[in-house]
Formats: sequence, C-alpha cells, structure tokens
Amino acid sequence: MFFSTYVEFRVVKPRREFSPQTLSVLAALYEHPSRWQHGYALASTTGLKSGTLYPILIRLADRGLVEACWQEEPQPGRPRRHLYRLTADGLASATGALAASAQQQPSGRPTAAPGARHPSGRGVAAPAVP
Amino acid sequence: MSWLSRVGARLMPAERRDWAEAVWAEAHEVPPGWPRLAWRVGGMRLIAREAQMVRRIGTLLLFGSAAGAAAWSAWPDSSVSYAATARADIIGTVLLLASLPLLARWLLGPPDNRMARWLRAACYAAILALMPANAVIQLFIGTVPRGGIDLRTFDTFEGHGVPGSISGGPNWAGEIAILLIKACFLVAVLALTSRRTQVAPAALAIGAGAGLALGAVMYAVAPLGFNPKFPNRPWLHGSAVDLFMVLIWILLFGAPLVAGAIAGWRCDVPDDPGEASAARARQGFAAGLVSGGVGALFVTVLGTGTTALLVKSAWVRDWLYHAPHLTASAVYGRELFATQDVSGYFLLLVGFLLIGLVMAVTGAGIANATRPLPDGGGSGGPGGPPGPEPVPVPPDGGRRADAGGDQDRLLGRYDDGEGEGDQGPPGLVGAGLGALRGG
Repeated sequence: MFFSTYVEFRVVKPRREFSPQTLSVLAALYEHPSRWQHGYALASTTGLKSGTLYPILIRLADRGLVEACWQEEPQPGRPRRHLYRLTADGLASATGALAASAQQQPSGRPTAAPGARHPSGRGVAAPAVP
Repeated sequence: MSWLSRVGARLMPAERRDWAEAVWAEAHEVPPGWPRLAWRVGGMRLIAREAQMVRRIGTLLLFGSAAGAAAWSAWPDSSVSYAATARADIIGTVLLLASLPLLARWLLGPPDNRMARWLRAACYAAILALMPANAVIQLFIGTVPRGGIDLRTFDTFEGHGVPGSISGGPNWAGEIAILLIKACFLVAVLALTSRRTQVAPAALAIGAGAGLALGAVMYAVAPLGFNPKFPNRPWLHGSAVDLFMVLIWILLFGAPLVAGAIAGWRCDVPDDPGEASAARARQGFAAGLVSGGVGALFVTVLGTGTTALLVKSAWVRDWLYHAPHLTASAVYGRELFATQDVSGYFLLLVGFLLIGLVMAVTGAGIANATRPLPDGGGSGGPGGPPGPEPVPVPPDGGRRADAGGDQDRLLGRYDDGEGEGDQGPPGLVGAGLGALRGG
C-alpha cells in the first residue's frame, strides 16, 4: 500500500504594479507624452476627483515616473498652474503597464477607475485609456 | 477657504507644499459652484492625507490623555511640605515633553521612520510613568512612618533623613537639576530620532537592543537602588550576584561599544571615503548613545516603579523581603533606603549617556578601522563598479522639469493644443493600447 503525498503548487498572481486609477492617469499622460498637462484636464480625462488624482500624481512623481513644473506664463488674473508629464522612465513604465493591462482584458474594455465620476459630478467619466 | 488651505499646507512636509498649492491654483479652472467646492474638498483631503493629520491628531490625543493621567495621579495635595516642588516638577516635565518635540521638529525635522517614532514614544511613556512612581515615593519619604517602628535605628545612618523628621524648605536646586537632566535626556533622544541627523533605523534598533540588555541585567542586580547596606536583590543569591555584577560592567562599557561598532560596520555609506568614514562614525555614535540612554531609562523606570510598589503594596514587600522573617523596623529600613536612593537613578540618565558617548566613538572607530572604505564603487561595496549619479532632491515638490537631462523635452509645450509628436509610440505597445482603446 502506497501513501502518496501530493503537494499542490498554485501560481500566485503577482500584485498589480498600478491600481486602475493610477493606470488611468498614466494612460491620460501617455496619450500626449511630450505635452505638459494640468490637473483639471487629467481629472476630466480620468474622471478622478482631486483628492484621488493628486495623491496618485505625487506617488508617480516620487517614483520618478512623472515630472512636474509650474507654468511660466500664467493667464492674467489667474495663479500659476502646476503641469505634469511622463518622464522617460514613466513612459517606459506606462507602456509596459498599459500593454499588460490590455493583455489582461482581451475584450478591450478600457481600464477606468471604478466608480470614477466626472469632476463636474455629471455621470460616469469617459473611458480614460487612449 | 484659501487661508484654510494655506494653514493646512504649512502642516505638510516642505517638499509636498507645492502640491497643495497646485490643487488650489487649479480650482480656478474648475466650473464654479459644486464642482469647484468638490475640487477644493479634495484638496483638503490631500492636505489631510499628506500632512498625516489622523496620526498627528491621534498622537496628540494619546499624549494629552497620558500626560493628563500621569499628572493627575502624581499631583500632590497642598497640605504636604513638598507640594510646590512636586507640582513644579510635574508642570515642568509636561511642558518639556510638549515643547521640545516642536523645537526639534523646527530645527532638525520630524522623525521619518517607524523605529524613531517608537523610540520617542517609549521614551515619553517611560518619563510619564516616572511621575506617579515618584509621587508615591515622595509621599512615603514625607510621611511619618507606620507605628511600631523604632526611628532611632535610622537616625544614625549616614545622614539620611527619616520621614517626618526632615526640616527645611523645599529643595528647589534639586528640582531644577532633575528637570535639567530630563531636558538633556529628551534633547538627546529627539535629536537622534530627527530626520536631519540621518540616523538609520537599524542603528536605532541596534542601540535600543543593546540598551535593553544592559538595563535588564542592571535591574536584575539593583532593582531597588544601589545601597550597599541592603543589596535588595531577593532573586539573586550567592555567586549569581557576582556573575551579574561582572556582566553589568561588561555590558555598561561593552554594549555601546559593540552597538556602535555594529551600526557603523553595517550602515550604507557614500562613495567618498571621507563621507563614508563620517557616516559610519555618525551611525555608530548614535547607536552607542541610544544604548546608554535606553539602558539608563529602562533601569530607572523599572527601579523607581519597583520601589514605589515596595512602599505601596504589602504583597510586593512580602515577596521581595520575605517580610514575615523580618521585623517591621528592618523592612522599614530597607524601604527607607530604597526610596531615598531613587534619585540616584537620575544620575544614570546622564552617566550612561556619557559612557555610551565615549564607547560609541570607540566602536565607530573600530568599524572604520575594520571595514575598508569604499574607493568610488557603489554604496557600501569596496571596489565595485561606479554607482549612478545621485539624484538631486527637488526643493519644492515634484520633479522639476529642469532636473531631467532631456533638453528637447524641456522645451515641451504646455499649451492645450495638439502638437506633433504628441501621440504615443506606435508598434507593439500601440497595438496593445489599440486593443485597450477599441477592442
């Protein structure tokens, strides 16, 4: 009589590098990688609220994936705006992450932040991925 | 709401304040009404998150309640003779605990790692715990002893005062000295755990571990003061005491030495040999100082607490001295000496720090002598390939555009119009994104 011991190996899914919200921000920046974009435009594109968008931008900037600068010539009567775009590292990371996200979703459904709404409060935001 | 944001932004770390300003500047672009209000509320959330408001408020409440409880339990009745000095000690200690961290934060920055915060919290808890313990001891010293005790037995001992027979006014000089010792100790702890002193968490942990070992052995030998007339160590007998005494002397000088050497030896150092040597010295120095301080505080708190329990609780008295075998006067004599020797613990807070300082410098020297300095290789590795250039820390939040090396991108537009080259790169990724986009 034989006693067998079976050891089951399970493939554990690696933790996703970016959250859906972060992916949507990366996608919005990736759409125009060389253009400086401001926060409200990113919020409009991604449907994220400012309290969600800016922490994401901060973390991305901390990791060197996004660079930020202040607008040099503000509109008269308006304060200077803070502008963002992907760094070279950010471009590479966004490329890989978005491609991986596309492979994980063969139906082609865009990666939108769950529950994201347009900052104006009117309905669900448009898909964020280019 | 603007002033609120400005005040809130001041609570954020300096490198994050630009982001709060960015959210507020951007609010002018948001349609007025609810959307703009929602945007600003999001900005306040950002400030609260980045300023770690929840933790700050929690810390404040915890400190306030702990300090309040300690002060309340230690606050003396106005009828006792030492009320003025005891109240001054309580108020002074709480003021020191509340104000010195603010000063340290302003001058040296906040603690930036968990170990530093834990060390500060433990130090605060220990100093607050000393307040009620000292109150019990002061009450014992200032009160006429229980009945059935022959006071003449104690009157002749080395000039010690017997409770009820002490004369003279309050001892303000002693009180000020104790407050100064506490202040020096707190300054050392706060400085070592601040960001700008750049002490690695590992160095703090090594120092704290060595200090706990020193404190534990010291407490085992002298749980009730250092009076040679009454050894006061009921759990150690015969040769075990001698062994522990040897261990104390070894640990007193060896713990900061070894902690300093290990911390200096294992720390990451910059490529420049001079800076590497200084970095090792700093980490070793800090670890040795922490070991002396933690050891002193540990034995002070436990020793003072045990002494307070001794005079407060009959079962502790019986357990420590097997009191049924001793006369009431004999037990009282031990209590008297233990309580009067408690102030000696405060000397440890200075003495151990000084010993730790000297030995830590030696330990750091050993680390520098035994581990070769880097010769331009990567951090900590002698002879390795040249490491990357250090990235400058942006002064005011985010990565500045001019910090990058790509001059073409520096000239990038920040207008809203579409420009050439704005589209993402084609190819495999483009195909992948196409799949994302349209399916």
